[in-house]
Formats: sequence, structure tokens, C-alpha cells
Amino acid sequence: MKVLLVEDEQKIADFVCAGLTTRGIDVTHCDDGSTGLAKALAGNFDVVVLDLMLPGRDGLSVLKEMRSLAISTPVILLTARNELGDRIEGLNLGADDYMSKPFFVEELVARMHAVVRRLSGDRQNTLQVGQLKLDRISRQASCNGQSIELTAREFNLLEYLMRSAGQTFTRSQILEHVWGYDFDPSTNVVDVCIKRIRGKMAVLQDPSDITSPIESVRGTGYRFKKP
Amino acid sequence: MTISFRTRLFVVSGLIVTAVLTAVMLVGWTRVLDFEAQRLEQRLCMEARRIATQPFQNQDRMRLAVDVANKLHLTSPDQLILQFDARSAGGNLQSINGRFEPAFDSAQWRAAKSVDSFNLIDSQKESPPARRDENLQPPPPDEPPRGEPPPQHPPPPPPQADRSYAPVPCTLATFDARGKQWRAARYETTTGRSVVAADLIATQADVQSALKQALEMVVPVALIFTALGAWLLSSLTMRPVNRLRDAMKDVTQKALNRRLTSRGEDREFKVLIDAYNTMLSRLEASFQQASRFSADAAHELKTPLTILQGRIEHALNKSQDPNLQSDLTQLLDEVGRLSVITRKLLLLSQADAGWLTIQRSQLDLSATLDELAADMHMLLSDQTLFCAIERNLTIQGDAVLLLQLFNNLISNAVRYCSQGGQIALSARMLPAGVEVMFSNPTPIIQLQDRARFFDRFYRGDASHNRRVEGNGLGLSLAREIARAHGGDLTLADSALDEVVLQLMLPSR
Repeated sequence: MKVLLVEDEQKIADFVCAGLTTRGIDVTHCDDGSTGLAKALAGNFDVVVLDLMLPGRDGLSVLKEMRSLAISTPVILLTARNELGDRIEGLNLGADDYMSKPFFVEELVARMHAVVRRLSGDRQNTLQVGQLKLDRISRQASCNGQSIELTAREFNLLEYLMRSAGQTFTRSQILEHVWGYDFDPSTNVVDVCIKRIRGKMAVLQDPSDITSPIESVRGTGYRFKKP
Repeated sequence: MTISFRTRLFVVSGLIVTAVLTAVMLVGWTRVLDFEAQRLEQRLCMEARRIATQPFQNQDRMRLAVDVANKLHLTSPDQLILQFDARSAGGNLQSINGRFEPAFDSAQWRAAKSVDSFNLIDSQKESPPARRDENLQPPPPDEPPRGEPPPQHPPPPPPQADRSYAPVPCTLATFDARGKQWRAARYETTTGRSVVAADLIATQADVQSALKQALEMVVPVALIFTALGAWLLSSLTMRPVNRLRDAMKDVTQKALNRRLTSRGEDREFKVLIDAYNTMLSRLEASFQQASRFSADAAHELKTPLTILQGRIEHALNKSQDPNLQSDLTQLLDEVGRLSVITRKLLLLSQADAGWLTIQRSQLDLSATLDELAADMHMLLSDQTLFCAIERNLTIQGDAVLLLQLFNNLISNAVRYCSQGGQIALSARMLPAGVEVMFSNPTPIIQLQDRARFFDRFYRGDASHNRRVEGNGLGLSLAREIARAHGGDLTLADSALDEVVLQLMLPSR
């Protein structure tokens, strides 16, 4: 995946670039709106990640210009100030998603994948890791061919972990992705939800392998076992 | 109980007008009666003079009595006493006609004060001007026909020289006789003296009745007009006050940057409006400064928070050391908590400044609450959850902000619920909009603590809540969001060991 990051704060750009690169994503960074617009027009990017507060030309005007020139590359906005007003305007101007600062790079990656998937049609409609299979369209989960009744939260959580099987996710990352950033971070809702998914899956699993595919990583969070 | 200013104004102005009217009527009545009394005295004197100068015979007496009665506006000759005493050669008076009335001589005669000079002098030159306040002549009571020297003025010739020495020809008296009160005039000439007495009550009767009639008509009308006038006055006074009140309410509900216009107002209200506007300007300035500081601070905090969170996340991904990973995760949790507070503060400062923008869209409230109830269910340890959510509740609202609102209410209910208690969540459609109620049992919360429920950073009695985490911004923000939607979040009346939060949202 090719991503254009337009962000003026060098330190933010640094860790975003580093995070995306380690996940195998090709990032191009520029730090002002005009350059960003020029690159978006010239290059062939899958996603543009656009900060709203930029020197010179601000994010909203870059987005507006892109859309008026019929560049339909998906855009994810990064907002910090007056986030509500900007979010509304950004979505009205044709942004595909937005993220409020501070954000997790992990979450940004998830959003980029979601946006790309939404636009590119039905590639990768099913997600399968080991015995567990998720249908993203019908939002059905099945284990060994038997379907599991999952709530929307449980499905989203499972999908989030399975998309990067083997990678550990912290509770706050999971919370932000599944419940949104406004959910009370001091609750143990993530642990309870994981426990429920494990319970539902245990009934259907092969009796010879009773370990859950969702592993707890002590003091850190959870990861989906890589087969 | 407070009386309304308008009522007070109405009553006071009504009372004042009534008092003034009463005073005017009283003075008027007295003046009319006085005037009538003077006229009566004049007439009595004229008639007495007529009788004295043209003595009548007994056979004419009846005709004369009728004539005089008519002139005095009396209804019957019975209300009249006529008498003429002729003066004998020796100066003794002898009653020659009329019924003798002994009361005439016991009465206190005095000079006709009001019947001075004019009428009598002008019409008849021999009448001397009355010397005021003189000539109180208490007559000897036991001398009915008094032997007085004849007056120096014969009626026909007018010897003007003696005028000043002349006794007053017309004297007046008021006395009781025959069971009535009489007003009498006595006129003396050289040939004798005449007395004309009229029934005082009878002479006043027609004037009194006319006045009474007038009053009967005027008083109700005057009262109605007084009431109308008082009402008009109080309305007129209240109108600019009401206008001011509406305008002030408008300013309070909308934004501090609104100003009242003083155009077209009276001077006093202009001054008041200017003072109010000045106050508003100062308030707005300090208010804006405070909320801008808060907004700037929130924004300035976000950049380092983003960097902090991003770098920790990156380090966590690279790290292979479980201990380091555990430490970094804890750091990440704290950064997350800081982010939540920052976000809430930013929203609160936006709400305070009136900049909280609402992006309305159709929301399925029933579905949202179902999902939140499921979340809440996961959060409970030994408590139970009771849900009564009506189907198909839809509202026009900002999805992101309302989610924030509900999240805050849920964490509040779960956090402060007593162990083993039951949380109740209900939502229903009312005529006024959608009502969502959250109730949970708690340790006892006193009324003074309840009053501070929506205060920022207020977390109840800290010693009771040490195990409970939270920042005390949730309810305050939830209320601001509800109000920005045109609704409200209130603490409903309940037992002291229960918290019932009522959220009203317009369904529109």
C-alpha cells in the first residue's frame, strides 16, 4: 500500500512513518499543504493522511482542491483543534474518515485498510486465521464450519486481532478501535469481552486443542495466535 | 409570597386616583352646598325686603307664600314662615300679619355676611353695606315686640350720607322651631320689619338629590375609569421591563456576544440597558479569555500527547522484553487517560464559549442504547441491569457527542453503583421528547453533595470512592451536550441512597 502523509509536526511524522514502514507500508511524507497537494495530484497513492493544521495551505483546502480536480484517492484527516467543527466540514468536503489526536498508528493502519477495502470493492471479504473464519460482509463468524453468534463489539474485536495475527494489542488500542476514544479507559470492558469470545469459541473448538486462539500477553494485552 | 410589581403598581395608582377623586368630589360638594347656602341667604334677604317694603295684607298672605315658596324652590308653603311686624308710632312693633313665631326672637341674628352690599345696594340704594362680623345682636329673649327706635332709613328716600351708621337692614339666623331647622332673614325698615324663614332641609333637598343622582352615575363610571387607567398605567410601566426581560432571557439562552438594543427606549431604560450591556461586555471578555485559554491549552497539550502516545506505541511494537512491554503498556494507559481528560476539557470549553457545534443526523436511539446496555452488562461484577427501552426511538442528534454523553452516564452508573445493586436504564417517548433515565443505588449521598453533582472535577466524598477512578468531568460534559441539543440532564428527586439521572432530548 502506498500512503502520502501530510503532517507539519516532524516528531509526529517520524513515528507515523516508522510505524507504517515496519508494517510494510510505503510512506511518502511532506510537511506543507502545497507540496502535499502537488504530490497527491502527481503520485499514485492508495491513501492520503492529511493533517488539518498546516502552514500555508491548510488541510481542508488541500482536500477541497483534490476533490474539485476529481482526485478520488481516499483521505483520512488528522484533527486536533476544534475537532468537531473540522470533522463535520472535512466529511462534507469528501474525506473518507478522520482521526482525533492523539491516535494510535495501529488504529490509523486499521482505518486505512478499511477505507481502501471499502473503495476497492470485495477483495478480502473473508478473513481466516486457523480454524476461525470471519465474513466481513455478512459479519458472520464460524469455527470449524460451525457459526458462532457474536455481538457487533465481539466481531469487531476479533477482526481487529485477526487482521494482524501474532501481533500484540494493548487494551487501550483495542478499546479505541472497538469502543471509540470516548469510552471510559479505566474499565475492564476489553477483558470481559475477550473472556466472552473465548467462551463462545471453546464450545466449538476441536477437543484435542483446548487452548484459546486469543492469547493474553501478561501486563500488555492480547494477540491472536498465529497458526 | 411575593406580590408582583405590576399588581402593586395597579393597586397604588388605583388608590391614588380614587383618593384624589374623592377629595375633589368632597371639596366640590362642600362648595356647591356653600354656594347654595349663600344663594338661599340672598334670596331670603330679597324676599324679606320685598315683604318689608311692600307689606301684604292677610288675605294676600297665601298667594304671597306660594309665590315666595316658588322663588325659594320650595315644594310647599308649609316649608315657609312669613311675618311682618309693623312699627307703631311709638316705635313698638306689632305683628300685623303672619303667624307669630316666638323662635324668631330667641334666635341669634347676625349680619348677612354673604349678602353684602351688592344685590341689596345696587338694586336698592338705601341698603347699607353690611359691616362684616359686626352686629351680632343677641336680642333680649323676653321682649317679643321690641321697642326699638325706628331705623334711620326710610325705605323710599336714599339718604346716602348716613349709610355707615345704619344698622344692617338684613340679618340672618338659624334656629329650631316646629320640629325643623329653619333659616331666616329679617329685614328692618322704618315702617316695620319682616322675617322670612325657610325649612333648611327642604331648601337643600333638591340640590342634595341632584348631587346624589350625579354621584350615583359618576362614581361607578369613575371607578371603572380609575381601574382602566391604573391597568393601563401598570401595563405601560411594565412594557419596557417585560421587553428588557425577554431580551435578557434571549441573551442568556444564546450567546454572551448578543447585546440589547436601546433604540426607541425611554431615557431611564436606555441607561439601564447601557449598564447591562457594559456588564455583558466585561463578562464576555473574561469569559472568552477563560475559555480560549482552555481551548488553547487543550490544543497545545494534544501535540505532545500525540507524540508521546505514538513513540510509546512504536517502542512497544519493537520491544521483545516482556517487562519493558508491561511498563510501556502502563504508560500508554496513562497517556490515554490524559487524552480523555484533555478531550473533555476541550469540549467543555467549547460548550462554555457556545461553540459546541452539533452535526445533526437521524439516530436510532433504541439500537444505540441496546448496544450500550450490552457494554454495561459486561462491566458489571455482582450488580444487575434492568433495561426498559422502547422500540423505534429516533432523534436528530450528533452521533459522536451523544455517544460521549451516554458513555459518561454509563461509566457513572457502573462506577458508583452499590455492590449487588440493580442499575436501571429506561428510555421512552414523551410528548416533550425522548426521556432516558439512568438509576443506580449508591452509598448515601446528602443533599448538599447532590447540589454539586454537575460541578467539574467533583467526585463525591473521596474517602468513600478511593477504589473508584474517574475525573469528575463526565456529568458536567454530558449536561452540556444535552443542552447543546436543546435538552437537559438533571438529577431527579430520589431517596438519598439512589441516584436517578434524567436525560431529556427533543425528538424533532
